[in-house]
Amino acid sequence: MSYCVNCGVELDKDAATCPLCQTPVVNPVCPVDTTLPPNFPVERREVEPVNRKELALLLSAMLGCAGGCCVLLNVLFWWQGVPWSAIVAGACAMLWVWTVVPLLLRRVPSIWMLGLDLLAVAGLLALIALATHGWDWLGRLALPIWWGVSVVLLFLWYILPRRSILSRCMLVLGSCVVLMLWLEGCIDLFLGGYRPMWSLVVAVVGVALMLPLLIIRYRPGLRREVRRRFHF
Amino acid sequence: MGRRKGQDKGWFQLDNAAMMYSAIQSGNYSAVYRFSAVMTREVDTQALQRAIDRTLPRFPGFHVKIRRGVFWYYFEPDDAPGPFLQPDIQNPCQPVYFQNKDQLIRFFYYRHRISMEVFHALADGGGALVLFKTLLAVYLRELGEEIPNEEGILDVDEPPDPQEWEDAYARYTRSRVRLGKSEPRAYPCTGTREPFYTLNVTMGFVSVSALRQVAKSHGASITEYLSAVLIQSILARQRREGRRRELPVALAIPINLRPYFPTRTLRNFILTVRPSIDPELGDYTLEEIISQVHHHMRLHITRQEMQGVITRNVFLQKFLPLQLIPVPVKNFAVDLGYRIAGNRPYSTTYTNPGAFRVPKEMEHHIQHMEVVLGQSYTPRVNCASISYGDIMEITFAGTVKETDVERDFFRTLVQDGLHVKVTSNRRE
Repeated sequence: MSYCVNCGVELDKDAATCPLCQTPVVNPVCPVDTTLPPNFPVERREVEPVNRKELALLLSAMLGCAGGCCVLLNVLFWWQGVPWSAIVAGACAMLWVWTVVPLLLRRVPSIWMLGLDLLAVAGLLALIALATHGWDWLGRLALPIWWGVSVVLLFLWYILPRRSILSRCMLVLGSCVVLMLWLEGCIDLFLGGYRPMWSLVVAVVGVALMLPLLIIRYRPGLRREVRRRFHF
Repeated sequence: MGRRKGQDKGWFQLDNAAMMYSAIQSGNYSAVYRFSAVMTREVDTQALQRAIDRTLPRFPGFHVKIRRGVFWYYFEPDDAPGPFLQPDIQNPCQPVYFQNKDQLIRFFYYRHRISMEVFHALADGGGALVLFKTLLAVYLRELGEEIPNEEGILDVDEPPDPQEWEDAYARYTRSRVRLGKSEPRAYPCTGTREPFYTLNVTMGFVSVSALRQVAKSHGASITEYLSAVLIQSILARQRREGRRRELPVALAIPINLRPYFPTRTLRNFILTVRPSIDPELGDYTLEEIISQVHHHMRLHITRQEMQGVITRNVFLQKFLPLQLIPVPVKNFAVDLGYRIAGNRPYSTTYTNPGAFRVPKEMEHHIQHMEVVLGQSYTPRVNCASISYGDIMEITFAGTVKETDVERDFFRTLVQDGLHVKVTSNRRE
């Protein structure tokens, strides 16, 4: 029999390391017996996961029913000349992409799913423009805003999990500032001319909050002090 | 006798603890525990399956399905064949999925080891051990041994006794005072989470007589001594983390209520005590921790105090406005409540169902007993121990990668002069 030199506990004859401290067993008198059957089984088993297909089917049926009924009502009864049901059906399709697709595509990376969700939003916007003959606002207002929001969201989704809490706060604040500047720019250009106002106030506040975080982030002494003070 | 509403109609209500366990059971929490007996001979699977088939009809409360009603879950008899004996797996105590109609009781074999896993809503350790002991006796009889119905072994030829399925909590709700207060947050003792569906199990074997002697030299019982050593290991871990403000280290220790409130029930009948040490008050030696644990347990494990806690728990269960809340909402609330009041105030759980006693004719057929607790919400280890003959088996089980708590625990036992043998299912 072998004992762990660090822990002082007796080990199994087939143990190559101590299970408590991972110290290798080196015992010339009693070498590790790898021919012995292990003390515990080696086969793992995973419980069958909850059936998500049924939930996906239920959601699809609900959304399909809502969209289909609206189309029927539109075609047969109410405001037959106005394609209002296309907007409702488009909203149902967007909700379907948001809720059902993640249930069916479990292994697709989440950033791709977010991209798909954003494309669904763009599709709905295009459908609304088509139904209301609003290509002007779509091209000059909705799509630029959508593009800005998409870029910021995808950027944050990609970058946030790899960063520290301080960096995350800075990135979120910075993204908000950029997004607000972009938003006001899009609205102003749509209305006639670029005259920045409220987005500059947001930008100043955002940068004022980011600066202390930036200093703390890149000064190790300050960072340690903050971590010590806020560590409960 | 307590309430047995619905039993004549082929279904019965969950008891107070079962309601909680069924509500909080999820993919990342396993209210499943396991008892294993390591036999002297390799397991005869056919004889064991016959023994299961003969034994379970005597224990109808274990052969049930859980069903979701509008306001509560309920049990109904499981008429499906089984449960069937399965080859053992490396990751025991897997969660029960109600949606998948999982069996609430499972049986496994591996070489010399017979294992039984029980969903905690069915019974506590005391009740499950009666079934396991009876099953082992019937199994040995199937192998041709003469085993008498002694030491708590039930006669499988007798009809089931309804008193074994009473809700003892409801029966002992008599106190005029409802005791219970929110406990402060304890050091969570969490580590790096292992990949999903991993349960790391490390077992240590110690001589019961030597352990009793050491515990006695400290003026404590075995449970008190082991609890104190566990607290000391967790305190050391917290100190190594270098926290500026250290949190109290507290254990959840389930107490079997049967010695205090006579009942024949095999269902849940436990409460937990919470010995704790606050390192902000200063450093404690092992002697001082043992003293704290010893006096805490002697002070709080009293009939009157426990009856007050039972009354509070059953009052919440019977409170009409709460009863009228539908099950999904209730599950969410209970789950949240458990995370706040049932998980946060404890660093870990330590349970000791005590000595596993069998008739003399059975003794030489069993090498030792083992017990394993399922995974907690958070990646941390739970501790459990059970003794058989002169072997005390202590298990650390959890979904955490680090081994520092069990390492310090067993090192302390070695420093106290105890011989410890360690084995684990971890892959090197």
